[in-house]
Amino acid sequence: MGVIQFKNVGKVFGPKESGFVALKDINLEIADKEFVAIVGPSGCGKTTCLRLVAGFDNPTDGAVMVDGTPIKRPGPNRAVVFQQFALFPWKSVYDNIDIGLRNLSVPKAERQSRIAAILNLMNLEPYAEHFPHQLSGGMQQRVAIARAYVLDPDVLLMDEPFGALDAQTRVVMQEELVRLARKNPRTVLFITHAVEEAVYLADRVVIMTRAPGRIKEVLDIASIRKAEDWDSHEKIEDVMDLESFVHLRTQIWRSLREEKADQHA
Amino acid sequence: MSRRVAIGFVTILIVGLIWLMVTSVFGVIPSGRFPSPAETWSALIHVSGRGYGGGDLLLHAYNSLRLVVMGFVFAIITGVPLGLLMGWSRRAEALINPVFLIIRPIPPLAWIPLAILWLGLGDAAKILVIWFAAFVPSVINTFAGVRNIDRPVIEAAYMLGMPRMRFVTEVLVPGASPMMFTGLRLSLQASWTTLVAAELVGAFYGLGRVLNVAQQDLYPGMILVGMGAVAILGWATTRALGMAEARVMSWNTAALAAKG
Amino acid sequence: MNKRISFRQSVLLGFGGLILFIGLWHGLAISGLVPRVFLPSPLEVYDRFTTLMERRFAGATLLGHMLASFERFAYGFILAAVVGIPLGLLMGWYRLLDEIVSPLFDALRFVAPIAWVPFAALWFGTGIGGPIMIIFAGAFPPCVINAYRGAKFVDPRLIEAANMLGTPSHRVIREVLVPSSVPSIISGLRVSAGLGWQSLVGAELIVASAGVGYLMVQGQANISTTTVMSGMVAIGLVGLALDSSLRLAERVILRKRGLEN
Repeated sequence: MGVIQFKNVGKVFGPKESGFVALKDINLEIADKEFVAIVGPSGCGKTTCLRLVAGFDNPTDGAVMVDGTPIKRPGPNRAVVFQQFALFPWKSVYDNIDIGLRNLSVPKAERQSRIAAILNLMNLEPYAEHFPHQLSGGMQQRVAIARAYVLDPDVLLMDEPFGALDAQTRVVMQEELVRLARKNPRTVLFITHAVEEAVYLADRVVIMTRAPGRIKEVLDIASIRKAEDWDSHEKIEDVMDLESFVHLRTQIWRSLREEKADQHA
Repeated sequence: MSRRVAIGFVTILIVGLIWLMVTSVFGVIPSGRFPSPAETWSALIHVSGRGYGGGDLLLHAYNSLRLVVMGFVFAIITGVPLGLLMGWSRRAEALINPVFLIIRPIPPLAWIPLAILWLGLGDAAKILVIWFAAFVPSVINTFAGVRNIDRPVIEAAYMLGMPRMRFVTEVLVPGASPMMFTGLRLSLQASWTTLVAAELVGAFYGLGRVLNVAQQDLYPGMILVGMGAVAILGWATTRALGMAEARVMSWNTAALAAKG
Repeated sequence: MNKRISFRQSVLLGFGGLILFIGLWHGLAISGLVPRVFLPSPLEVYDRFTTLMERRFAGATLLGHMLASFERFAYGFILAAVVGIPLGLLMGWYRLLDEIVSPLFDALRFVAPIAWVPFAALWFGTGIGGPIMIIFAGAFPPCVINAYRGAKFVDPRLIEAANMLGTPSHRVIREVLVPSSVPSIISGLRVSAGLGWQSLVGAELIVASAGVGYLMVQGQANISTTTVMSGMVAIGLVGLALDSSLRLAERVILRKRGLEN
């Protein structure tokens, strides 16, 4: 199960009275196996939200919970995919994926079969013995996703995972992620500032205000996606051409633009 | 052969010729000051065969090498773990740093008189001083190496639920190893310098002793032989360390690029 | 890494560590486990240090020895900088010079400065030339190497910009190459000073008739551990002062250029 709850969450960096208020009054519930994207202007606290669920930081106010239990520290049930890949440069692709399973004391035979399956799924089989520095950015991020997925986590946390990739690779990765998510669904919290990416991938999109970050709006994508049958289109450019898609995208842009305008006011 | 290597060869050749001419052929430099190639050669034969200053060349070289290796190994066994600890734990860093800051400005060579006072002129005093000289760069660079590890990599390790021991051996140490090896190279350099100095001050065997006796005997050819031997051993040990580094760090493109 | 600790905590821990260290030292000295002659207590060392500042030992007061040491260091260091920095810069700019000089450099790299002491003693006896030569041997390489790096790794785009603006060669050298090499040179001077000071200490242990190193050797010969330790403290203090002032100079110069990180 992977139900995430933010209850009156606030986060201040530095001393409580005078520090930087990153988040204020965040209330959000993410259902099991739901794919939620958070978008917002820079510094709005979206990454902070992810870090709270990951357990890298703790909230100053309120509580962040997974399946009803408050989150205290990081763990493999909330696997993270970082923007900078964060692979271990001294380990091969195979070993990078293996180590999470070893930490869970998974027996060797099972580890081997699980890794073989994920390598196959992510098209990484020929690269199992390669080292990260021998791979392109896109491939490294595939390894990072594989590393997270192989843990069979309750929650998948993705922090601008395609931000460091070039535009073409990005599109390919988005298509792959959609395929993966439909095939092997689980709760996903996806941070991005690319609106189209969010609309394409997510069931719901959360729009945040600039700092101090609050939730401005939550848009339901899944119902429109199902009603307009986006999944019948294999290519991403066909989906992005649909009127329903464009409408949602524009709605979000307008909302974000208000935030940006306020910033310069 | 590349242009650079070719020019290098030519330069060394020319320098060698100048040496020959200035000392033997034209006698511009009196033999009491700087040895001619011939004198150096005969000194080399002397110390290799009959022996000089208490033993032959192999014995002296072996002793010096032995002490350097022992001191160096003790230093990294103690220094690297301390560097890892201080790099990892900010508490440990805060606690130990001031003591370090006080001890650091004292050059390792300055410990020689104290070491001799405590342990005499034998091996123990030398190993102590070498240990100290090699210890400091190991700690500092390993510390820097740990701090240099990308934050996301550390967070990824946390996320993957790494048990403590595995974290140290499979994340901290490999992550710190690029800078750690830089520290090891500095430690090795410091070890040789300190060893030679300690043996010059007082020793029964070793290349430093050869230098010392040669100086007292006004035997410049032997001095040059001693210096050459030190340089060669220094080069060889550094090379060995470099090979170990390349082996361990085949994953690090930056290091590989630096080796050329 | 572990979470950061507060400034207050780090200061407290720092003090604690210091007091623990001095306490252990003092305790060990007093306990009698180690013969007093080998491990004097911190207080005794302090006492001896202050005494030596006024009373002569081995020819001069501690202050006198420190000044003598520093004087030699200064000559050797300045010589190394004056010869080394221009050489390094030229090697960085003119490839032929680099190719000629580098092999010699590499060959001599593995000879520790201290290994020159026997020749220094042979040529200069116990005169001031000896230590200066050793200091030079220690301080020279970093000066050259850092000047070389500063010159060689000038951002080529700066040169291109200068050429595009029609700058004559000598101006390019003076107003582009030299200034952009300065940070590297200053950093090299700091390393050079440290190595030079260390080399001086080594030289004075072996061939000198004055200076702090000489003081320590005499202290050792007379089994006066407090004297030896006082010498070590003095050396540390001077070394620290040198390094701090150069660090400060480095920071000032870098700040003026907005290069501070």
